[in-house]
Amino acid sequence: MKTHARVVVIGGGVVGVSTLYHLTKKGWSDVALVEKADLTHGSTWHAAGLLPLFNMSYSVGQLHKYSVDLYKALEAETGQDVGFHVTGNLRLATNKERMDEYHKYCGTANTIGVPFQMITPSEIEELWPLCETKGLVGALYHPDDGHIAPADVTMAMAKGARNGGADIYRHTEVTAIECRPSGEWLVKTNKGDITCEHVVSATGSWARQVAGMVGLDIPVIAVEHQYIVTDEIPELLERKKAGLPEMPVLRESDASYYLREERQGLILGPYEKGAKAWAVDGVPKGFGQELLPGDIDRLEPHIEAAINRVPIFAKAGIKDCINGPIPYTPDGNPIVGPAWGLKNFWLNDGHSFGITAAGGAGWQLAEWIVEGEPGIDMLGVDPQRYGGYANKQYAKLKNEEAYEHVFIIHYPDEERPAARPVKTSPCHERLDARGAVWGQRYGWERPNWFAPKGVERKDDWSFRRSKYWEHVGNECKMTRERATIIDITSFAKHEVSGPGAEAYLDRMVARKLPKRVGRVSLSHALTPSGGVRSEFTVTRLGLNQFYLVSSGAAERYDNDLLVKQLPDDGSVTLTNLTTSYGVLVLVGPRSRDILSKVTDADLSNEAFPWLTGQQIHVGVAPTLALRVNFVGELGWELHHPIEYQNHIFDTLMTAGEEYGIGLCGMRAMDSLRIEKSYRMWGQDLTIEYSVFEAGLDRFIHLDKGDFVGRDALVKQKQEGVPQRFITLEVDVDEADPLGNEPIYQGETLVGRATAGAYGHVIKKSLALAYVKPETANVGTALEIEILGKRHRATVIEESPWDPENKRLRA
Amino acid sequence: MKILVAVKRVVDYNVNIRVKADGSAVETANVKMAMNPFDEVAVEKALRLKEAGLAEEIIAVSIGPDKSQETLRTALAMGADRGVHVRTDIETEPLAVAKVLKAVVEKEGPQLVLLGKQAIDDDCNQTAQMLSALLGWSQGTFASKLEITDGTAEVVREVDAGLEKISIKMPAVVSVDLRLNEPRYASLPNIMKAKKKPIDQYTPEDLGVDVTPRVKTLKVEEPPKRSAGVIVDSVAALVDKLRNEAKVIS
Repeated sequence: MKTHARVVVIGGGVVGVSTLYHLTKKGWSDVALVEKADLTHGSTWHAAGLLPLFNMSYSVGQLHKYSVDLYKALEAETGQDVGFHVTGNLRLATNKERMDEYHKYCGTANTIGVPFQMITPSEIEELWPLCETKGLVGALYHPDDGHIAPADVTMAMAKGARNGGADIYRHTEVTAIECRPSGEWLVKTNKGDITCEHVVSATGSWARQVAGMVGLDIPVIAVEHQYIVTDEIPELLERKKAGLPEMPVLRESDASYYLREERQGLILGPYEKGAKAWAVDGVPKGFGQELLPGDIDRLEPHIEAAINRVPIFAKAGIKDCINGPIPYTPDGNPIVGPAWGLKNFWLNDGHSFGITAAGGAGWQLAEWIVEGEPGIDMLGVDPQRYGGYANKQYAKLKNEEAYEHVFIIHYPDEERPAARPVKTSPCHERLDARGAVWGQRYGWERPNWFAPKGVERKDDWSFRRSKYWEHVGNECKMTRERATIIDITSFAKHEVSGPGAEAYLDRMVARKLPKRVGRVSLSHALTPSGGVRSEFTVTRLGLNQFYLVSSGAAERYDNDLLVKQLPDDGSVTLTNLTTSYGVLVLVGPRSRDILSKVTDADLSNEAFPWLTGQQIHVGVAPTLALRVNFVGELGWELHHPIEYQNHIFDTLMTAGEEYGIGLCGMRAMDSLRIEKSYRMWGQDLTIEYSVFEAGLDRFIHLDKGDFVGRDALVKQKQEGVPQRFITLEVDVDEADPLGNEPIYQGETLVGRATAGAYGHVIKKSLALAYVKPETANVGTALEIEILGKRHRATVIEESPWDPENKRLRA
Repeated sequence: MKILVAVKRVVDYNVNIRVKADGSAVETANVKMAMNPFDEVAVEKALRLKEAGLAEEIIAVSIGPDKSQETLRTALAMGADRGVHVRTDIETEPLAVAKVLKAVVEKEGPQLVLLGKQAIDDDCNQTAQMLSALLGWSQGTFASKLEITDGTAEVVREVDAGLEKISIKMPAVVSVDLRLNEPRYASLPNIMKAKKKPIDQYTPEDLGVDVTPRVKTLKVEEPPKRSAGVIVDSVAALVDKLRNEAKVIS
């Protein structure tokens, strides 16, 4: 066995082997894989081999598409048959809401370039003559996918990797992983040790244990998944004899199961309620190619539904009930990318649809390792999207929920109930008493909207305008006309200080740092290719002291960026203030009147201009007041030691009573910011688009000296941007754009929306989008596809509300 | 005629067997279990006899912990009419099993008892023989063919020398071999229906049988791991290795 390698991949399932394969494709041949038993052991070997292109996520959808294309070409490359049955797949719908979900997905599919068809019940019958179509309203049909032999595809990629120079060591169990003083990793195994630059964990059900070796707590716990395999069925034998093709993989989403042909029999795989997390405290020693005891009873409702839909299923003999562990994560998406706090330690774990995702996940992780950044927006699968709350207990509850939710309708505004509340602001009870309808992000409870007295405090999720629409509208109007409080305590907050602070931050962001103490500026940390990695509101608190605010969902993600860039000389101190500071935003035209009543500070425009911050007292509470906000009105973000929050809240509510102060939730905030064309990090600003494409030129100083991404931006400046960020006014009736809709000029796809909402104050439906530059001029007539229908969309000037920013400077 | 079929719950034949860390036994916790494959053949034979009009009722019996009921449900889903569960957490030995089965035979009054020739976990191959001795009934072991006519059973036995055909008087105890038939798979509706079929429960004490083990397990070990093979580059090299290294040819 080698003693040195550039990369050691741990885990010989389909995901680990794919990572190894793609590293060799990137030209890294000095790479090795260690597997404690044999390739495919764990989950790969018992996977049902499905390759669904369908996925609601823009990130994951692209990974799946890549896999399907790769697997089709593997045999030609490696000579190894992969058993790819291109049967296509059919997802049935029994109701309009489900059709809405499919249509929403189709928009994303169009932006990624996945071919699909929406078909009618009679077309379903043509494709699946043995299916009872009663009660069906239609189906989503993917002609190009199907199923594959999981072990064969693993072996094919293993062969490809070996051809590319990689070594695979089987029966080699990792016993410890140590970080050497040189920064290299030492992977210790029962067959010897390997020193390497990078370590990749692709360890399936063992992921928590392996990550635990380097002190990481990752929320990957397997859930039991069962599928039933039948004996041969006469009708399917007949079809085979008659030379008829295998029928598409059938999914009845509303009954939560998949069904496919297997050797003239059928395989039925339900996603049932009550499936159990497995090996929560660790995988039993020696577990490898094993199955768990089946429990057909809990599958009963799905079995009945399948029999009603496909009557031949009732006659079939049941050969086996395969129950095997499948890794899950709290949101059901895998964990692909760098580990936090550790250099060159990578995760490719938590794959519940591992066969479908492996190709794409290996491809992008290899890109990331070799190039320093992935080629597509991977935020949806980034390991750092979870925080410290995502421990074993959390994962057990959430992963079981994610399993149960595989086939539920994924509404754009859904909020899942398990493991809540986790994190609450101090003013939680006060907001609750005022009708908050809660949502959750990064473990934080946040009011999505406030139900007025007499209105049921319940979300009514929909792809169209929902019951809460009117109340969100009122919060928007209140904010623009009077004043509201928005609780954004969840935002990530860091303090950077010390003699090296300025140089350290300056290298990280693309904008000159604020010079004067008290100045606030919006700054971006970029990827090497100029995409937006992170967005910080930077306030200069002192000569060598800065305060950074960023998205609440990015706490670990941004913290990791800040930590990994820290100089070794101790000249910079980084403090994460996220949970020690709360933030209440007082915003709206009456905010000055209200705040003046409770502070001695001079709030006049001259004394406290826009984009500045000051330490003031609100009542008795010491507060860092920043004159910025995300909704485009006069207002102050009040950052305070968290123990003062209720005092500040009560003080403002009392002072604001005479001005009709109200509360504003997250959904209203989203509508308000879209009226201002404010870009949301993670949604409108991602690594896929450069800051110039995002139209953030005014926040970039190419002349300030070197910073990450500068070279790419200089090049782009000369060559021109491939896309431009625009604001669209959209003609709609009851379904507003929400993001991920394709945009057309005639029949040509010219871009995609990244966000959208109804602008309740300007009374227009709006979308924010990236389009080709030639279609980005104001006045250009385009079309946007919303839930399967094209709507007129006109490019308008940025910031349709208060384009001159008079209100926020008032 | 009533037929009694004995079915045992064992680790599924597809599962890699793991030995408990303390070497006391094979690991069965959270491991996939199934009906002993030889017993499936026995159930299938009983079903075919009933379908041929030669039997009126098939009673499946299983001895073991609560989970043994799952194995009984499998037999019921295949088509057995009802079940008898003799509940014990003790790992029963062939003599104890034979005594319990004798007691069940005396309660139920079958003319024929069908069993697998052995269980794939302990490979004892003793129960059928002991039971026939305890009952004083005829025995036909390792049956690959079984025909019943007018109070006699024609049994084709698979023995080392080939096939042996015997004719035995009923009532009889017959242990079956794999080639007797290919067991059916239960359909889903039958699996559901099986849940409603009755299972009578007893303990060994109820039946007046002492199942205390007489044999003590000292240690359970995994077989030695095979070391990796080598690829030789010519037939001559292979012959040389077989002759001089493995010493399997001369």
